[in-house]
Amino acid sequence: MILKKLLIKSINIYKYFSPLFGNKCRYYPTCSSYAIWLIENDNIFKAVFKSFFRILRCNQLFRGGLDYPIVKKEIKNFKYIKTDVKYWLIPTNKKNYYYVIKADNDGK
Amino acid sequence: MMENNNLKRIIIATVISFIFFFAYDYFVLQPQIKNKDLNTTTPSNITQTNTKKDIKKEKSTLKIDTIAKIESKDFEIKIDSLGRISSFLLKENKFNTKNGQHLELISPKLPKPLEIRFENKILNKKAFDTKVEVDKKLITINNKPETITITQNLGDVVVKKVITFYPNGKYDVDVKLNKNVNYFISPGYRPSVAIDKLTIHGALIKKADGTLDIIEDGDAEVKTVNNAIVLAGFDRYYTTLFFSKTPLTAVVVPDEDKNPILFIKDNKNLKLTGYIGPKYVDVLKSINPQLVDVVQYGVGTFFARNLFLLLDFLHKIAHNWGVAIILLVVLVRIILFPLTFKGMVSMYKLKELAPKMKEIQERYKKDPQKLQMHMMKLYKEHGANPLGGCLPLVLQIPIFYGIYKLLLYSIELKGAHFLWINDLSSMDPYFILPVLMGLTMYLHQKLTPTNFQDKMQEKIFKFLPVIFTIMMATFPAGLVLYWTTNNILSILQQVLINKLMESKKALAKAKNEN
Repeated sequence: MILKKLLIKSINIYKYFSPLFGNKCRYYPTCSSYAIWLIENDNIFKAVFKSFFRILRCNQLFRGGLDYPIVKKEIKNFKYIKTDVKYWLIPTNKKNYYYVIKADNDGK
Repeated sequence: MMENNNLKRIIIATVISFIFFFAYDYFVLQPQIKNKDLNTTTPSNITQTNTKKDIKKEKSTLKIDTIAKIESKDFEIKIDSLGRISSFLLKENKFNTKNGQHLELISPKLPKPLEIRFENKILNKKAFDTKVEVDKKLITINNKPETITITQNLGDVVVKKVITFYPNGKYDVDVKLNKNVNYFISPGYRPSVAIDKLTIHGALIKKADGTLDIIEDGDAEVKTVNNAIVLAGFDRYYTTLFFSKTPLTAVVVPDEDKNPILFIKDNKNLKLTGYIGPKYVDVLKSINPQLVDVVQYGVGTFFARNLFLLLDFLHKIAHNWGVAIILLVVLVRIILFPLTFKGMVSMYKLKELAPKMKEIQERYKKDPQKLQMHMMKLYKEHGANPLGGCLPLVLQIPIFYGIYKLLLYSIELKGAHFLWINDLSSMDPYFILPVLMGLTMYLHQKLTPTNFQDKMQEKIFKFLPVIFTIMMATFPAGLVLYWTTNNILSILQQVLINKLMESKKALAKAKNEN
């Protein structure tokens, strides 16, 4: 848990400084957002692993563009409560695999 | 706004701690010889501490003198009454101490290189009370190796050391005993010239299977390592070591500060190669490629070593370490060029998208996140993406870190001249490079279009070149040189891209008008 928070904190610090090197990421969400979304929704090791390969993919030899993180989750025990939505999990074609999309709460 | 204040605090704290850290490094932790080491040096005052029952220092009743001298143009070696190397002076002026004296590589602490201790207590006592005989009092080494024979007669046991000294600081030693008896022989206490808290120092044992056992000062415990082929005591820049092609038994003993002391344990005749001197990769390699591992760079050694080989290759072309660093930057850029080039090609495609891009920009002016998302969608649909990507940026980090390590540990880079800088491994005395770095950074920032999240961030960014200049002022000049060159190349690249974009725009305009 501490590791998770530390990682997110340091990525956020990086995000703050990243415009210094030019807004360079070829993807949406950017590599750093991708990493944070995954860390908050996936196993931490898987998240780091996936983010690492995302960074490797983030160069001119790849097309870039929209690329949402995908997590494997078995969703059971539904409960209906009123809450702020943090992330949307959108089902992919494969069973139990979901796209992670951050809910847009900031624009308000 | 709360979060901004927090962030601001974090940034300020980081910057201050960086400044403190590096100021502390340069003003306080400079390589220093501990004063207390110096006090224990007088030969008549060899104190006895039983670090391990078997390996005993004995109080010598002898008055210990220098009984033989080996001279060459690069070094001067002294052999003492107990048949040990008691002094190894580097005569090249670039190694001189601050007082202008030649550098002494033999630590005042015991054991000295080639010191033999016997497991048998009576024999050991005798060994420390019996003067050795030498066949020559003075040897001058010009271009070819010279041999000296040291004999110690202990009654039952006669120990002979036949030592051949080579011009590069290497020596071969042949230990001969007239009968088998357990003994320990040491490559000597590690040099105590460049000891600081920032770099690792201590002992290293390499086994025949290639595995390394690094024992840092303060962490030593009694232990036996079988199949050892290299035993080296090292500080930041210098080493004293033993090497043997046939695996031997090494013994590690901690001293009173828990620093490791190395011995080889044997009971019969023994052939060894030794080396005392700076950790020049070339010299170590020429003695035996196995010895290259004696140069340790701390965390990330594997990467730093390979980076060194590359930089060394460039140095052999350029004959200057500063130029070699510049060439390294250029090389990295060339390797990344296919990527850059592909980016430039996609600029062409982008021009057709210009109207659509404008439309999207208009529509999502207020929401940068959505704007970004729709732009990406557009890029993907048309297979054009003007952005460089995170990988080229991330790739720079290990290289930067590697150079930092090289500047910290490589004796080759110590005292490397470049234009007005007389040592690339320490800070620029006139602060020209850091200022240049700040300026190029500012320029690059100006040329690169940037989206800011908020006003606060924008303000911090305006100041960043200043902050970085101050921060980098105490960094090794070689590192600042790398960054500055990198900035300049980035600027050139950006100018090129901007020109390309402009000419495309002009072309498109001309077409429209027609």
